[in-house]
Amino acid sequence: MTAHVVKWWTILRISLEERFVYRGDFALGTLMRFLPIITQIFLWTAVFAAVEQASTQSGAQASEGAAEQSAAGSATTVAGYSLSAMIAYYLLTMMSRAFSSMPGLASGIALQVRNGEIKKFLIQPVDMIGFLLLTRMAHKLAYYTIAILPFAFVFYLCRGYFELGWPDMQRLVVYVCSLLLAFVLGFFLEASIGLISFWFLEVSSLLFVYNLLTFFLSGHMFPLDLLPDIAQQVVTYLPLHYLAYFPAAVFLEKIPANEMWIGLGVQALWVLAFIGLSRVMLNRGLHRYSGFGG
Amino acid sequence: MNIGFYIIIFQHTNMIGEEGGWKQYEFFVFLATTWFINSIVQTFFMPNAQEFSELIRTGNLDFALLKPIDTQFLISFQKMDWASLSNFVMAVALLVYSLINLTSQPENPLTLHWSMFLLYPFFIFCGVMIMYSIMVALASTSIWLGRNQTLYNCWFYITNFSRYPMEIYQRGWGWALWGAFTFVIPVLVVVNIPARIMAQPLRPVGHQWYWPFIALAATLISVLSSRFVFKKALGAYRSASS
Amino acid sequence: MLVKYGCRLLPPAGEQSIIFPMSIIQIKDLVKTYRVYQKKEGLAASLKGLVKREYKDVNAVAGIDLEVEQGEFVAFLGPNGAGKTTTLKLLSGVIHPTSGSAQVMGYTPWKRDNRYRRRFALVMGQKNQLWWDLPAQESFRLHQQIYRIPPQQFDETLAEISDLLDITRLLKQPVRELSLGERMKMELTAALLHSPDVLFLDEPTIGLDVVAQHNIQQFLKFYQERRKITILLTSHYMKDVAALCKRVVIIAQGQIQYDGSLEGIVDQTTSHKLVSLLLDENEIRTEEFSKYGTVESIELPRVVLRVAREDVAKTLNAILDNHTIHDVTVEDPPLEEVIAEMFSKVDPSIQRATDEDIAASADHAGTESDA
Repeated sequence: MTAHVVKWWTILRISLEERFVYRGDFALGTLMRFLPIITQIFLWTAVFAAVEQASTQSGAQASEGAAEQSAAGSATTVAGYSLSAMIAYYLLTMMSRAFSSMPGLASGIALQVRNGEIKKFLIQPVDMIGFLLLTRMAHKLAYYTIAILPFAFVFYLCRGYFELGWPDMQRLVVYVCSLLLAFVLGFFLEASIGLISFWFLEVSSLLFVYNLLTFFLSGHMFPLDLLPDIAQQVVTYLPLHYLAYFPAAVFLEKIPANEMWIGLGVQALWVLAFIGLSRVMLNRGLHRYSGFGG
Repeated sequence: MNIGFYIIIFQHTNMIGEEGGWKQYEFFVFLATTWFINSIVQTFFMPNAQEFSELIRTGNLDFALLKPIDTQFLISFQKMDWASLSNFVMAVALLVYSLINLTSQPENPLTLHWSMFLLYPFFIFCGVMIMYSIMVALASTSIWLGRNQTLYNCWFYITNFSRYPMEIYQRGWGWALWGAFTFVIPVLVVVNIPARIMAQPLRPVGHQWYWPFIALAATLISVLSSRFVFKKALGAYRSASS
Repeated sequence: MLVKYGCRLLPPAGEQSIIFPMSIIQIKDLVKTYRVYQKKEGLAASLKGLVKREYKDVNAVAGIDLEVEQGEFVAFLGPNGAGKTTTLKLLSGVIHPTSGSAQVMGYTPWKRDNRYRRRFALVMGQKNQLWWDLPAQESFRLHQQIYRIPPQQFDETLAEISDLLDITRLLKQPVRELSLGERMKMELTAALLHSPDVLFLDEPTIGLDVVAQHNIQQFLKFYQERRKITILLTSHYMKDVAALCKRVVIIAQGQIQYDGSLEGIVDQTTSHKLVSLLLDENEIRTEEFSKYGTVESIELPRVVLRVAREDVAKTLNAILDNHTIHDVTVEDPPLEEVIAEMFSKVDPSIQRATDEDIAASADHAGTESDA
């Protein structure tokens, strides 16, 4: 056990040190991450302006498209989101993606399979998935212990967009849990895709499709509420929306209290499913690999 | 890719921006323009910029420096990524589709003029040159920074601003961004000028006539200053051993 | 052929507006300083590095003056990190100096004039410039275009060099399939295609086996003598230097420590000679030899003594008087040893190396390199 802790600490420490050496790179990289949010803010401001204009012009006539005039006042909403809520949503998905995105995981596994580096996991007494999970955790930790400063700064600047303020304790707990689960789910989902390379050596096109789907169906690009009803139904049955949409929607109280616990449960089930899947795939894959004699 | 996003947005609004904003097919022309420029940059320049950083890291830039031809020229045209040119074909398809829709719409149909087909490619070329200049300047920084793994990200985030109509920034503190990305790092003119020439040729927003000249000036200044940065950076090259 | 190349001794009249100064290479007070970020061990130190960084100035080249005449073959010797490679990089314009000046054929290298770049070549044993996945011939073709070599001249030069280096049959093979030695020959060929007047060789024989080393030495010697080009060479192998260069420049700690002939090093540095005696079988009083000088080795019937240079004659007389000797040889100490002694004088941290150390350092040279 202590050996594990020491190993873990060493990996963590080295990745931290590596981060600091290239501080110019690092500071630039972290700040740059928030630039797309700015364009999203302006884009949605322009969209809301157009919607508002259209609805005032049409006057008493039926509102166009899904643009609704809320009964309470003049606040324009799109698919139930006010402009502030929309921007808050994008900030929150940044948070979700910080946990769930796994850059280079699947392609890294595929590369190791292709160049035979995977052999070392057949020889050394290290579990491959465990090792990858450990290094990934270390990297995320290393990154976000530093990045928490710019994150906090941006959220502080944008606090005005969170009209509802902090959610209640119960919601907050679900939110944090779903973020942590999003990390684990993201890891095992992408690991499973990487492990497909045992059977098909070239997984880059598959990865491309996966990334595209994640982009749209995780809610990273826009709130899933914007989708047509049927599409929304389908998306709810996929694991992808737990990577970005679900935590953000919980925070913004888009999901009723009783449903969010169920959602969290389903997310946990997906995690278990992909843990199992990746485990089976690794065993079969390594077996197949050694069967071929490398 | 992000066309799906905009299709969904246009489900909820008929325009981006207020008076004189971009309607759906006008915006698709804008998107097509983005694709044109990106595909050209990714085919010809992106692989070379990445290679350049690699050359610096390994110290193999030495050999490029020894050759009796212009170093910037040599490293700008070493590699091509033909696969990225497929996006060019997509852009053509989207442009044709949008133009058909724009010319046949019942309300204010777009009339095409032959000059548009000269000016459009020309300003796309200007846009590509601006993008190329930014890329050269960014890649040069890897000489000073030692390593520049985030080069691609940096590039993505800066050029990200160019993918939106410039009008959306023209409010509140957005004016500061608008000014910076029009006159300091002129990414906003890259797509906006050719797209506007093609999609909204007759709609006067501000004093539109001077924009092409601004784009031209921006292109020239970008190319020259990126070359200056490149030369300066080479002076600081340390040549990693082996 | 010889006559033809003889014409190339001087630059074609008219093409060159710059008249050669006396020396083809002139270096004055050349300095190159690197700022190195001092990374400390440990997390806390790394955190501190985020806020404030400590830099250290490293003088890779600390004021070098050198003149090289046209047609010379000069060797740069020195321990790893002495500044040899940096000097070559400065002379080829790859890096800018911190201060000082240099002129090669009248050009300032780091201005990177295309006319200059067409007239020299740099070969680095640890880097390769040929396209890895293509046959060398393709890279050569590219060279032809870049250096604007006329087709006829290109064909002739390539045929001649590849014949000399015995690589004609390898030209069509992808470079990655070649052995290290063959690859080095290809690199050399690439560098010589445009018939440079000045050639910089940075450890051209590093990591090569004895045969390949010998081949390259032979080629360089032949080529240099024939074309009378000027060559600057750095190497860790004394054999390279002994075989090729009359003039040796020793650099350590960024400065020139010695400039002169190879033999001169021995005279200047070491005050001893090795006296090797072949004893008669009956001669067994070996312990007595220690009074004549330091006993280097005793492997009966052979005894090797280290004797002060000025005492050699006297000592020999004494030995011959007192012992029965079949054969005597008097030699200078091995060159490696002399050089190592010289390095250690400059920098006390470098221990006077034994032969084994030299052999080991030759292996070492493959993994480390100059700053």
